[in-house]
Amino acid sequence: MSIVKYLLVFGLLVFGTIATYVAATVDMDRFFVGANTLVALFIAFTKMTFVMLFFMHVYWSKRLIWLAAVASFFWLAIMFAYTMQDYLTRGSGVFSS
Amino acid sequence: MNAQEAISTGYGGAAKLNYLTNGTTLKSWLLTKDHKRIAIMYLVTVSAFFLMGGLYAATIRLELLTPASDLVESGTYNKVFTQHGILMIFFFLMGGLYAATIRLELLTPASDLVESGTYNKVFTQHGILMIFFFLIPSIPAILGNFLIPIMIGAKDLALPRVNLISLYIYWLGGGLTLFALMQGGVDTGWTFYAPYSTTFSNSFVMLVGLGIFINGFSSILTGLNFIVTIHTMRAPGMTWFRLPLFVWAHYAVSLVMVLGTPVVAITILLLAIERVGHVGIFDPTIGGDPILFQHLFWFYSHPAVYIMILPGMGVISELISNFSRKKIFGYEFIAFSSIAIAVFGFLVWGHHMFVSGQSIYAGMVFSFLTMVVAVPSAIKMFNWTATMYKGSISYDTPMLYAIGFMGLFLIGGLTGLFLGAIGLTVHLTDTYFVVAHFHYVMVGGQVIAYLGGIHYWWPKMTGKMYSEFWGKISAMLVFVGFNLTFFPQFILGYQGMPRRYASYPEEFQVLNIFSTAGASVLGIGLLMPAVYLMHSLFFGKAAGDNPYMHPGLEWRTSSPPPTENFEVMPVVTWEAYEFGEESGMDLEAAKQREAVTA
Amino acid sequence: MSSHYSDKFVYHEPGLQHQFDDMGQQEESVSIGMWFFLVQEIMFFGGLFTAYLVFRSKYPMAFAAGSNHLDAFWGGLNTLVLIVSSLTMALTVYYAQKGNRNMQVILIVLTMIFGATFLGVKAIEYTDKYNHGLIPVAGLNKKVKAEAGAEHGGAAEKPCWEVDHNAPPVEHPNPHGEFIWTDCSLAKMALDENILTASEKNQYLVRDENNKPVIDTNKFRDKVRIFFFLYFVMTGLHALHMIVGLGLMTWLLWSAFKYKYNGDYYMPVEMSGLYWHFVDIVWIFLFPLLYLLGRHFIHGG
Repeated sequence: MSIVKYLLVFGLLVFGTIATYVAATVDMDRFFVGANTLVALFIAFTKMTFVMLFFMHVYWSKRLIWLAAVASFFWLAIMFAYTMQDYLTRGSGVFSS
Repeated sequence: MNAQEAISTGYGGAAKLNYLTNGTTLKSWLLTKDHKRIAIMYLVTVSAFFLMGGLYAATIRLELLTPASDLVESGTYNKVFTQHGILMIFFFLMGGLYAATIRLELLTPASDLVESGTYNKVFTQHGILMIFFFLIPSIPAILGNFLIPIMIGAKDLALPRVNLISLYIYWLGGGLTLFALMQGGVDTGWTFYAPYSTTFSNSFVMLVGLGIFINGFSSILTGLNFIVTIHTMRAPGMTWFRLPLFVWAHYAVSLVMVLGTPVVAITILLLAIERVGHVGIFDPTIGGDPILFQHLFWFYSHPAVYIMILPGMGVISELISNFSRKKIFGYEFIAFSSIAIAVFGFLVWGHHMFVSGQSIYAGMVFSFLTMVVAVPSAIKMFNWTATMYKGSISYDTPMLYAIGFMGLFLIGGLTGLFLGAIGLTVHLTDTYFVVAHFHYVMVGGQVIAYLGGIHYWWPKMTGKMYSEFWGKISAMLVFVGFNLTFFPQFILGYQGMPRRYASYPEEFQVLNIFSTAGASVLGIGLLMPAVYLMHSLFFGKAAGDNPYMHPGLEWRTSSPPPTENFEVMPVVTWEAYEFGEESGMDLEAAKQREAVTA
Repeated sequence: MSSHYSDKFVYHEPGLQHQFDDMGQQEESVSIGMWFFLVQEIMFFGGLFTAYLVFRSKYPMAFAAGSNHLDAFWGGLNTLVLIVSSLTMALTVYYAQKGNRNMQVILIVLTMIFGATFLGVKAIEYTDKYNHGLIPVAGLNKKVKAEAGAEHGGAAEKPCWEVDHNAPPVEHPNPHGEFIWTDCSLAKMALDENILTASEKNQYLVRDENNKPVIDTNKFRDKVRIFFFLYFVMTGLHALHMIVGLGLMTWLLWSAFKYKYNGDYYMPVEMSGLYWHFVDIVWIFLFPLLYLLGRHFIHGG
């Protein structure tokens, strides 16, 4: 990949950082609770994707590397989801304990 | 041909250089990059830890001979055990036998072995040593390290220096933990539940935690090494579906090691910080949640039990197919079921927490998934049975262990389903039913598979045959002793005897006596292999390259193998487990030929 | 002479290790190895993110209040510094492949400078927390003797939600170096606008003498302390990885200086780059999750 393309990705990352900061100052929780967090996470995920694809060369790597990268987030998701399913269902709704 | 060439080519009558004789200085062993030497060093260390964990088990069973929580004062016990702990490390078996004799001598009818505080330390340390320092490393670090490169036709693992560092880290973590145990040990249970471990325990939680934390990296690096090796170092022609199932099992195990172990590492770190700083993340009075500790802990520790059993299942696949002289039934099913167990094993950790205070909804989800995760294991059991059907079965020692595995793992697995059902588990949690269940799968499963594997590949690793007679005797002793020890515990459990208690109501004594009696038989059965295997090193018959006439790659090189594993790197053109005349691996035909030419 | 297999007659590329057949196999192995190591690192940090997720969902206002007290300027600067260092690292790999040793050395030095800047800023931040009594472990904060006839005599009687945000910051007496937090204005605002979760209502509020629910300073402080605990552990662990990264860079600098890397052999640079980018990615997530939680309350809400 040429130097220009690296600089382009860099520019995108800087833009993303500024966007995160600005978005954090705007109250989006009026729309629904957690909107601010969702926007922040979305921007963070996009930045991460660019770093992984282009700086870490995943775009040009074998499928096994893609799989490893994706699988690790899938496993994180398992850890988050199955832990939170406990906390979110305590003492609420149909099943109260 | 001069002497040097004769030695290195291995042709002609001169003695061949193999991995054991290629370099005999201490430095050549401690700085080796040879996966086989690293495996042997693991074997020695793992056996030492097995012995130590076993001595703790002996103490438990002696204590539980009587309902009262008794035996010598804890101070004397600690001193005696510590002194013999030091002996033990330097004189493995000798020290262990010495300590056991002292313990037996001090046993009186109204026995008074340990008081409750010390008993807590005994079962904790039994668990920690057995799980983290014996069961988890046993098959992967010894048999996996030794065999995987040979089975796939490679010269070594992909990352030999990482392998060596793995060994050093294991020694460091184990040494630290032993040091902590000699200082006084921990009494929190191997599960280290907060808030006892963070706030109230006065034992050496930090030091043992550090030992386990360090040891975790040994596990991670071994798993990493296996994944890379199996992906990139296979010989030409060795496709994924020609791999021995032993390799598939280790691939699945490596995935679990890499994905799960870091979480327990961070959990121990949080535990340590909490213990020092008292911030309160696990303290409900200031906003924390003790259940969070359990979630993070069991996220690893449940997959850990699959780390323990999957390699054992890999060994059993090899043993069953070899000693039935038949291709394994349903190769792809067994291969994929290993991966399925590895993946699904991450979704069920909450079944250790049904009564902890987690929500009922979460309990339901985990219970359902526990039922699901049993299915791949059942698939394997069916396939192994189908492999044996119409096979030509020979009852050599490894096969005795394999058949024992199938029966005992079946019982252990089924009782796991009982415990996974929420209705039953409320009654059975923290009783001896749970203790019996996990000993059936871990000892009846993993330890028996480990012993079977060590016996089966002993000729390959050492070039010597052990005594079949003593092998069969000890296999049977292990089987009988094991069942006598742990089956009564199922009954004790559903009758209500709680686990981790040094004293119990009078009515449970009879079954406890059976259990301790069985433990002595089991102990003898487990110690015997150490004796006759060591004996075979010096006096055993030389094993040929392929005593079992098995088509696997590891049997197509000399016993013991040369440092580079093969004289000429192989090209694989045959499927896995091709027994029979066409492949030239026909045991019957070979025996007949031998009978004719003898 | 026997015709047995002999290594002497085979050309070995420089840097090829004995267990590999060729460089391609070595590169592939090392790459897979490094990626699975990063997978393991992701799960390592993942445990902390889980704890964060659990506690933030329980106490969002306490987390927002704590977050507001972090300086987003320093955090944002650190984010930019790391992104620039990621760029220089990626370019190092580029020049290693080209075999341009001088550019490699320059870029590695730049990467290290930015990495050190990151750590320097973290040191500034941590010192600031130390001075303000925000380290969650008792005894680790700056000990400020309680003066007799202190100017805070009046402050002790004011409820914790009546805080003048525009007043100049004062040093609270802190004789034992404990964690101090007296600002629960955000919780009060949430209570008034009824956006407290059930868990929060349970955990922040006590009944006063009129049986009205009011915010208890100590209870709120305990939850903010959990936020700061996670802040220190997560950024601390990240900083530790940064230090390891700098060590890695030092080794890389030395090797690159000795002309070791070129188009045929550059994997160590690439692998070090992977590690460095990983550390960057962790910070990309830490920044919004730790520093930017409560800004929208101040500016927009």
